[in-house]
Amino acid sequence: MSISGLGPHGERAAPPSRLSLTPSDVTAARDRRFRVAVVLHTGESDWSRQQLAGIAGTLGDCGVIVGEVVDCGFQAATQIAALERLSHEGLDAIISIPVANAAVAEAHRQVSRAGIRLILHDNVPTGMLPGADYTSLVSADNFGLGLIGAKLLSDRIAQGGEVGLMTYGVDFYATNEREIAFGRWIVANRPDLKLRTIRFPSLGAVRETTLSMIEESPDLAGLFVVWDTPAMEAVATLNTVGHDMPVTTVDLGRDAAICLAQDNHIVGIAAQQPFRQGVAVAEATILSLLGRAVPSWIALPGLAVTKANVADSYQTVWRSQAPQEILSAL
Amino acid sequence: MPDSGMVETSRPKRGKGRPRNADGAAQSLGTILNLVRSGAAHTRQELERKSELGRAIVADRLATLSEIKLVDESALAEASGGRAPRLVQFNANRARILVATLDQTALGVGIADLSGRLITEHHEAMDLSAPPEATAERLGTLFEWLLAKDEHSAPLWGLGISVPGPVQLSPGDDFLQATPTFLPAWEGFPLVEQLARRFSVPVWMRSSVETMAMGELHAGAGAGINEMLFIKVGKRIGASFVFDGKLYRGAQGAAGLIGHLPRAASGRTASLDVLAGSDMIARDGLAAAQAGTSPALADILNRGGEITAIEVGQAAQVGDSVSMEIMSRSGHLIGQLVATLANMLNPSLIVLSGSIAQTNDILLAAVREAVYGESHPLVTRDLRISASRMGSSAGLVGAAKVVSEALFDPSFLREWVTHGAPTAMPRLLAALDQMGTAAIGAPASPPAAAAPPGA
Repeated sequence: MSISGLGPHGERAAPPSRLSLTPSDVTAARDRRFRVAVVLHTGESDWSRQQLAGIAGTLGDCGVIVGEVVDCGFQAATQIAALERLSHEGLDAIISIPVANAAVAEAHRQVSRAGIRLILHDNVPTGMLPGADYTSLVSADNFGLGLIGAKLLSDRIAQGGEVGLMTYGVDFYATNEREIAFGRWIVANRPDLKLRTIRFPSLGAVRETTLSMIEESPDLAGLFVVWDTPAMEAVATLNTVGHDMPVTTVDLGRDAAICLAQDNHIVGIAAQQPFRQGVAVAEATILSLLGRAVPSWIALPGLAVTKANVADSYQTVWRSQAPQEILSAL
Repeated sequence: MPDSGMVETSRPKRGKGRPRNADGAAQSLGTILNLVRSGAAHTRQELERKSELGRAIVADRLATLSEIKLVDESALAEASGGRAPRLVQFNANRARILVATLDQTALGVGIADLSGRLITEHHEAMDLSAPPEATAERLGTLFEWLLAKDEHSAPLWGLGISVPGPVQLSPGDDFLQATPTFLPAWEGFPLVEQLARRFSVPVWMRSSVETMAMGELHAGAGAGINEMLFIKVGKRIGASFVFDGKLYRGAQGAAGLIGHLPRAASGRTASLDVLAGSDMIARDGLAAAQAGTSPALADILNRGGEITAIEVGQAAQVGDSVSMEIMSRSGHLIGQLVATLANMLNPSLIVLSGSIAQTNDILLAAVREAVYGESHPLVTRDLRISASRMGSSAGLVGAAKVVSEALFDPSFLREWVTHGAPTAMPRLLAALDQMGTAAIGAPASPPAAAAPPGA
């Protein structure tokens, strides 16, 4: 599959194959005994656990020690404090998912200034430049994920309906791209549909946001939520109030996959490949530590998942068998 | 969005220290604001010294500038014995600037503060040969999305567009009142008029090679550099020159059209654009894929992929020998011309930009080889040649700088500062009225605060 989006600076994506490690790279990395820390936006999602597995496994194969994994709980202050502390701990590299835009930019720049390789995952604060402020960005094709989410939802929406776009109120590259792409696809392919944007400021506010959305737009014919954790909260809220509507989202989390298999609101998922993204992040880290040139943006395509292919897609994304709840519902 | 609420509140009242004519007030307001904005003065004492205005006038003008929220005196400066003075700071969040870059294959948009610092940006693929109406509508939609996403909900004061062709400006032009000629396919399309009417703000336009050079100068490799040569390699190859820290536009804004210069290669003579631009790279790459001489490109073609200059550059980067040869040939041709420019201009930095230059080290290496091999030793002694790290962000940063500098240009500032906002300036309001007929079909009202992308 091709990459639909452009990078944070308009770059064309490089494929993860550009990062392949040769046996001599692995040997060289093992000899150097690098130490790396991982700073996550959250450790509480299936996506985070999968990508961490990809990172830790690949780094482990190359003898690179993951000294610490920080869960920032989506808090900019936590991330800033963690980066400041880690910058003084003699690390060779830090892998980070910036939790915000300008608020965390300077803390990330300080990592590079301290001579530590900084590999970003999924988000680049505006103004940070590859080669100067960070080494490389690895992400999903977030624009492509938004296009997939729109197409999957469109199949379930009758002519002339109104669809909701539930998006993150925080300025975040990955969710911005999904949001913009969703709108672009609808305008280009379903001009008959009305689009209503609803923003939630934090995960804790999703229930309230969903309730006010239903109150203000009771005839909403469908909903796209920019990732699975808030989508599950929205689905739970819809179930509580007995409101039925098709929902699409991004990320094949376990709960979202089960909802898809069991026809519980979720009708389609634009899945990232977090394990493979984690592998790519680790490979980019190793190559840059070995002094090799790495592309400024490496992107992996998303997968369109419906009930028809949820079991095999689950295996692709999770690298393990689909849970019984999925298999028994098919 | 007009900031019309400021019209009444900002009008200077008669009082102590006020000059008897509005021109004098506007001049001193402008002087003080630009001293604060440029960082030349940080306290009232410094303002009095640098502006050569009396204490009462400085205090009065600062009160007016605080009233219209362009300066902030809430923080304290460091004390040097005695009581700490109040810090006078420019409020860059007072308003916003929208910017866009139109390129042959991509559209970039961004929102910036009044200092020209980008806050959010977005880039997406787009074919500039598509009908201008569709592109302009997409641009407007993305601008509305950026405004809706702005957490400060600050008013909009200006709009800057970067386009892939030279922009002719008349002497004395500040904001545009009609769309200048920039690309044959857009001839007669009222892009400036539509955007100005839709967002009720002044619009500025510059060529992409100019805005990218500006961006590189302010936020990229050119920061702190006084003599820079900027080369953009794409379908067209263009150059921009910075002398003494300032961009040189030429008499008609057409400086740097080096792609039009004739070159000779492989037994034929044609323009540099034809012999070394991205169309040539794509064409030779496609021929190699079809002939099977490049396994990497043939594989892309066999899988139904398209061969563009980007694919050739990426194949070269992973060692495909035919692709490396194509990139190297292009790089040498460009490098020979850049060497001539370097010998003429003696820059301290040459920045190579454009998507091909940024995805590929071979082009950069070939240019370096040609420049270092064909230049006087004095020219290359401290010369740095690098690829841009800013990518298309350079065009957005540069466009924001163009608008920021234009808004606070002393003569323009004098015209609007007593009205509180440039969007309340009578000359702009009259121009927007005049532009009305050109913008038929565009929404007459400002965008809704929560307008979704694509809505």
